[in-house]
Amino acid sequence: MNLGTRLYTWLRGEFVGEDTFGNRYYRDRKTARGNRERRWVMFNGEPEATKVPPEWHAWLHHTTDAPLEGARHAWQKVHRPNLSGTKYAYFPAGHDRRGGKRDKATGDYESWRPS
Amino acid sequence: MPKLTIDGLEVEVPAGTSVLQAAEELGIEIPRFCYHPRLPVAANCRMCLVEIEKVPKPVASCAQPVGEGMVVKTNSPAALQARKNVMELLLINHPLDCPICDQGGECDLQDQAVAYGKDKGRYIEEKRAVTEKYLGPLIKTAMTRCIHCTRCVRFLTEIAGVPELGMVNRGEHAEITTYVERALTSELSGNIVDLCPVGALTSKPYAFTARPWELKKTESIDVLDAVGSNIRIDTRGNQVMRVLPRLHEDVNEEWLGDKSRAAIDGLAKRRLDTPYVRRDGQLRPATWAEAFAAIEAGLSGLKGAEIAAIAGDLADAESMFALKLLMQALGSPNLDCRQDGAALDPKVSASWRFNTGIAGIEQADALLIVGSNPRIEAPVLNARIRKRVLKGGFKVATVGVKTDLTYAAQHLGDGVEAFQAVVDGENPFFDVLKTAERPMIVLGMGALARADGARILGAARHLAEKAGLVKDGWNGFNVLHTAAARVGGLEIGFVPGKGGLDTRGILKAAAAGKVKAVWLLGADQLPTNPLDSAFVIYQGHHGDVGAQVADVILPGAAYTEKDGTYVNTEGRVQRAQRAVFPPGEAREDWKILRAASEVLGHVLPFDSLDALRDALAAAVPAFATPDAAAPGAWGDFGEAGALDAALGPLGSAVSNYYMTDPISRASPTMAACTLEIIEAGNARTGTHG
Repeated sequence: MNLGTRLYTWLRGEFVGEDTFGNRYYRDRKTARGNRERRWVMFNGEPEATKVPPEWHAWLHHTTDAPLEGARHAWQKVHRPNLSGTKYAYFPAGHDRRGGKRDKATGDYESWRPS
Repeated sequence: MPKLTIDGLEVEVPAGTSVLQAAEELGIEIPRFCYHPRLPVAANCRMCLVEIEKVPKPVASCAQPVGEGMVVKTNSPAALQARKNVMELLLINHPLDCPICDQGGECDLQDQAVAYGKDKGRYIEEKRAVTEKYLGPLIKTAMTRCIHCTRCVRFLTEIAGVPELGMVNRGEHAEITTYVERALTSELSGNIVDLCPVGALTSKPYAFTARPWELKKTESIDVLDAVGSNIRIDTRGNQVMRVLPRLHEDVNEEWLGDKSRAAIDGLAKRRLDTPYVRRDGQLRPATWAEAFAAIEAGLSGLKGAEIAAIAGDLADAESMFALKLLMQALGSPNLDCRQDGAALDPKVSASWRFNTGIAGIEQADALLIVGSNPRIEAPVLNARIRKRVLKGGFKVATVGVKTDLTYAAQHLGDGVEAFQAVVDGENPFFDVLKTAERPMIVLGMGALARADGARILGAARHLAEKAGLVKDGWNGFNVLHTAAARVGGLEIGFVPGKGGLDTRGILKAAAAGKVKAVWLLGADQLPTNPLDSAFVIYQGHHGDVGAQVADVILPGAAYTEKDGTYVNTEGRVQRAQRAVFPPGEAREDWKILRAASEVLGHVLPFDSLDALRDALAAAVPAFATPDAAAPGAWGDFGEAGALDAALGPLGSAVSNYYMTDPISRASPTMAACTLEIIEAGNARTGTHG
């Protein structure tokens, strides 16, 4: 969070709520006539857009007037940010980072090894 | 010669020609399923119906002989309508499963349904279904797709001579079947896959692996027997997916042996893909530079006579020529391309060629086969002998272990004494040969690779001269090889030089420590114990017998992976083409030898394949004219002396057709064939897998 955002939030922001990950959401205290209110998020930790869970994502992008309810169904999964570049990143089966064991493909051959 | 009119065009053809063939002369194509120019006419698919004037009904043109003044219409409304109806009838019971059928994209029924069929079917009743048949490890069946053209039945009965397929029942209940459930035992059975106009018979090893339009086709030469069949290698990416025969009237017509067709999965097994160097008694992967350094160290300080080279059965002519030049530069006279020790005389070209030519068999009128089983040594050539037998007026006799050659042959005896009796004129078959106009003798490696091979060769020459096998315009003396590289090696002169040792001599000297280094160019059919103490360089593509004893392994290219020249048993020079690249670090063999020669300080005088081929053609003029086969020059060859009956009966050099070389030995399909066909009926013990 750079200083400018903090200052702007302190001067103009109205706290709306906090999601389960500790990200805090704000909107303008006053909005000029004819303009749409600004909505923004102060991230908990590294600023990373995919940290915003879907219920707040809808509010943040002016799809809904208020944030959605959280988990309404048992089958809803907990939101996870983009894991690329982390150790939890996804690698397809057969990738070197998943053991490198892939199905047979065209052009494969078995090489001879001395016994 | 009757003259007839087809579609308004006049044509004159010999009497007995069918209307369909006459139309082909004019370039008019008549659709057909059951008709095949090399098979007897069955006329049961009715697809080739044409209209003939003054004949009330449409006529099957494949079975209708031409007549004087006949007026044929192949595309009149009546003929087209007749074909449409035939196609509708064929499609009544043919499943519409083209998307999951292996024949899709190369299916006669598919193509002709588009070209000559109706746009929709009217059939709404139940379709029939036929149970699958088991035809062995090579052929996959989907008999519901069968349209009963009986091409497969006619091929196995007439061409292959193994009548194991037949059609039972009638009408809707007709089925193609083996009668009893077991694998086909013909060595040519794979051809019925090519012949099948629909997807009823498809290739089992190739099943569901590729579609014809995604394959790259390369025209090449087969090396798994000595016939040099012309093949088309179908590849996808860097993998050989299948091998199909290519038309060559003088060699393989359009047939191909099962091994040549199905052993290609061995090309992806046990491959040598990196150089190896033996350190502390263990073969360790190495770089090319390390391997060449090890060769330099191993050969340094050795005299020429202490170095030897043996070429294997799959070596191409270019690499053998390069190795010969390298050995000459190193001062070694010890080289041999006859790793089985066959007593072929390297000086007289008639003594090692199939002088009559494969197509020449059809002109012969008597044949004596000695120490060979052409059925398993060269199945395509055996089919040619059978073709000649079926024409009649052809007497065949064999000397050697009695086997089923697929045609009637008089068995004269198992051992050399029977052969001696023919040579001496005591056996009546001598008179058959003598009185025949174009007699032939076929000598196999089973006779020549024996210890008394040179004497058998001499006796055969004696017989050829005495019985008039060799005369103006006819040379009936034939040697049937089992190795694709053998004739090429002999043409090049990859044989002991002055004072040099042959294969047996090299092995003996290596055991005695007189030969200290041996270069094996793909030689795997050797007893390797004598090589234990020698420095062995193995250059080849499969980890087989030779690689086990090697001190340095140089990974080479298999026949699908290099541009190479091969000489078939007739002496026909043919060029194989590269279809895929060698795996890993492996390189084309002539390049390996060129690079090694530089390290060894005797740079070979060529930098490109073209330069090598020019040098080869300059040294051996036969290599300048590909695809020409001529009888060799007659001369004095072989040794005189009594034949050794104590060596046992004359057998074939090949015991198992399906496993004769490193590629087929590595092939799982060939292993399955061995188990199902060769070992069928043998009792299985607890040690079987």
